[in-house]
Amino acid sequence: MSDNFFEIKNVDFKIGNKVKVKNVSFSIEKEGDIICLLGPSGIGKTTILRTIAGLENINKGSIALKGKTLSSENINIEPEKRNISLAFQENSLFPHYTVKKNILLGAERNEIKKDKSINFEELINLLDISHILNKFPHEISAGEAQRASLARSLITKPDLLLLDEPLSNVDQSFKEEIQEKLKKILKNSKITTIIVTHDSYEAFYLGSKCGIILNQELKQFDDPYNVYHLPNSVEVVNFLNRGILIPAEVTSPKSLENKDLGTITGNFVKPFPIGSSVKLLIQPEDLHHDDTSNLKFEVIDRKFRGTNFIYTLKTPNNTLIPVFVHSHHIHQHEVDEKFGIKRPIHIDHIVCF
Amino acid sequence: MKFNSWFVSSFLISFIVLIPVITVFASFFETTSNYYEILKNTFLVEYIFNSLTLLLSVLLLTFIIGTGAAYLVSFYRFPGSEFFKWALILSFAVPPYIYAYSLTAFFENYGTAFTILKNLFGEANYNKNIPKFDGMFGAILSISFSLYAYVYILTRASFLYQSQNLIDLGKNLGFSRFKSFFKVILPAARPAIVAGLSLVAMETLAEFGAVDFFSINTLTTGIYNSWIYFDDLAFANRISFFLLLFIFSLFILENLSRRRAKYHFNSKGGLKQKVKIKLFGINAFLAFIFCFFIFFVSFLFPLSQMLYWTIKFPENLFDLEITNLVLNTLYLVLLSSLVLIIFSLISNYGNRVSNNKTLNFLSTLSISGYAIPGVILAIAFITFIAWFDDSIIKSFGFSSIKKIFIGSVFGLVLVYFIRFYSLAFNGIKSGYEKMNISVDESAYLLGYSKRKTFTNIHIPFLRNSLLFIIILISLEIIRELPITLILRPFNFETFATTAYISASEDLLEAAAVPSLFLILIASLFIIVTSKYILRENNE
Repeated sequence: MSDNFFEIKNVDFKIGNKVKVKNVSFSIEKEGDIICLLGPSGIGKTTILRTIAGLENINKGSIALKGKTLSSENINIEPEKRNISLAFQENSLFPHYTVKKNILLGAERNEIKKDKSINFEELINLLDISHILNKFPHEISAGEAQRASLARSLITKPDLLLLDEPLSNVDQSFKEEIQEKLKKILKNSKITTIIVTHDSYEAFYLGSKCGIILNQELKQFDDPYNVYHLPNSVEVVNFLNRGILIPAEVTSPKSLENKDLGTITGNFVKPFPIGSSVKLLIQPEDLHHDDTSNLKFEVIDRKFRGTNFIYTLKTPNNTLIPVFVHSHHIHQHEVDEKFGIKRPIHIDHIVCF
Repeated sequence: MKFNSWFVSSFLISFIVLIPVITVFASFFETTSNYYEILKNTFLVEYIFNSLTLLLSVLLLTFIIGTGAAYLVSFYRFPGSEFFKWALILSFAVPPYIYAYSLTAFFENYGTAFTILKNLFGEANYNKNIPKFDGMFGAILSISFSLYAYVYILTRASFLYQSQNLIDLGKNLGFSRFKSFFKVILPAARPAIVAGLSLVAMETLAEFGAVDFFSINTLTTGIYNSWIYFDDLAFANRISFFLLLFIFSLFILENLSRRRAKYHFNSKGGLKQKVKIKLFGINAFLAFIFCFFIFFVSFLFPLSQMLYWTIKFPENLFDLEITNLVLNTLYLVLLSSLVLIIFSLISNYGNRVSNNKTLNFLSTLSISGYAIPGVILAIAFITFIAWFDDSIIKSFGFSSIKKIFIGSVFGLVLVYFIRFYSLAFNGIKSGYEKMNISVDESAYLLGYSKRKTFTNIHIPFLRNSLLFIIILISLEIIRELPITLILRPFNFETFATTAYISASEDLLEAAAVPSLFLILIASLFIIVTSKYILRENNE
């Protein structure tokens, strides 16, 4: 028996007879940790949460919480006996009760445990739902319903909290604030949480670990920095869409050569034989702008992101390269202008496939 | 598939509902049957011709009245439009047979019309100038003015959900109001109109009281007469076979159009609330007259006629054992509602928690009972019980069970169950459809067991739906005639059967009192439920 707080071992997640995600294994070491599962829509993220909650069965592998097996080929503890709470993506508030009554139904469960780490008043203030307490679910917006549902799940003080796209209906302007508050509540009350989202920024902010689910598999399970900077497969790179893969040839244990960029130095994350042809990951922050450089490419697009610009450059070999520039940079470049890249090019972590 | 209690109960319900259908179809394969001979040598051709004439005429009339009224109250504001919106469904309180009594009572020789003319203009022979609404024409009017509300309710609902954008689009294309109605509004409401007309068609083919009163030989009266006058259950079942073929074609048509209607009703996104156009002058007057005429003819006229006779012949009021009739009606209503609600809840809950395709299929079969005319249900039920008693029970040496099922409240409630199961089942189903399955799952995750979820979450949520269903069942049972007439215990009467018996004995004035009570009670139920029937939002 492992010491992990929560553990999934070799589980095939399925709905009916259709397998959605195969042979998944990951664990949460400590109580209070937050992990995020990322993946495109329809990939099976919700199925994973439903299965952990006991709403779907498994016939391969095992799921254990606090050392106790919840699901396996022969065991399936009923959802109501797991003390796992799932906040659904869609409105799952009881339609005939007010928001307050809905949340208090969650509190009823907590009363047994007399856990005071989550206080009703504090919770409704943090999630900014005090004004809708006496309304019925059909009278509130989707974002408010989602926050009310979140409050109901939190107040039960579950052993494991599962959040399915918890902020998908929350207004963008309000999202960051809620993310901060949510993280604070979860950390303060030490609620172990698995969050499913398709928003990588949300996952990187909230999760201490992130799992990437692609093509029916858990492709990578690592801390957010590594998932972003050290993706372990081309699929993960393509899914995160934060860089491009360009052809290069390994010239030494610490360098590569690309036809457009020339020599690139750095530390290989995974060693490749000298002379081998690889695909090198270039992320927007890997290259630096330098107006004085003689390595110049044509600007074909410019995206303003508030704190920065992302320029898309076209090389003579028709490769499109993204480059990050701080938005307070002394001047801006227009489309069709030439844009200089600082040489020599050095990338701390060289990721190749 | 798991062989659990949901499966058993759903299977049992489907089996009970299918008994009459199986019985009728079994009669088709009897070796002695020679359908060509029956067709040639009996009145079957006449039955079919009359049924078709009645059907087509009623469909045409209900289409004009129902669609016209729905269009006016949905798109325009005119004096009384808010009142007519719900008042036009009061016609449901007047079953066709009571309408037939009123029509006859008013227009017959020396009837109410004659009395009015005499009081206004003095003694004269007015009888030859007063039109007679009897026979086929009387039956068509009686049924149409009672049933047009099906078309009215469904079409109005469809009109309400029609987007303002659609109407604006018509205007944008330069359509006149007239052209917009025929090119945009009416085609968009077509599935709802077809659904309404299919219901009218099924009810018309099943209609017994009014056609029997006007002595029209249709398939339904043919079934009843074969049994009552010729004591020929087998022949009654054979006619039923033809009628069922008709009905099932309509049933399929209705289901198909309802499925399409749903598509239209659900178009919520990006719709503007429709703005009703205010009518002035002659247009407002004409709209008012049209709606008032329908309301008057369909409801006020039969109500006043029955009221007039009740006052004119007060002795009938005292002759009638009203307390008994009320108690009998209450007894039937409560018992039937209870049984229907319990089984419908079990079946719906079973479907919800098991999400099993076989269960869903069985449920679909179970709701077909509403399409089968009451006369067929009652006679097929008697046939089945007689067969079961003779072939199964007696062969095991047990004593006869006929008395338990035929001429008993138990048998009556059982057949009501078959007839009205769809009402209860669909009512609860639509209630459940408003509650996402994740609500149940949330309850489980809050520590609720399945039983606690059912009692603490489902029942409170479905409370209004259940109340609505009980009232609808009550309304149907109060108006129901053929099943009650055929299967009721000896000396057990309802308002409907009392009215029918008096009318069939040519004692129309005696039929007025139970008819009046029936209309008043039914109206009360309709008023209570009108909020649900005519709801204008998606709640």
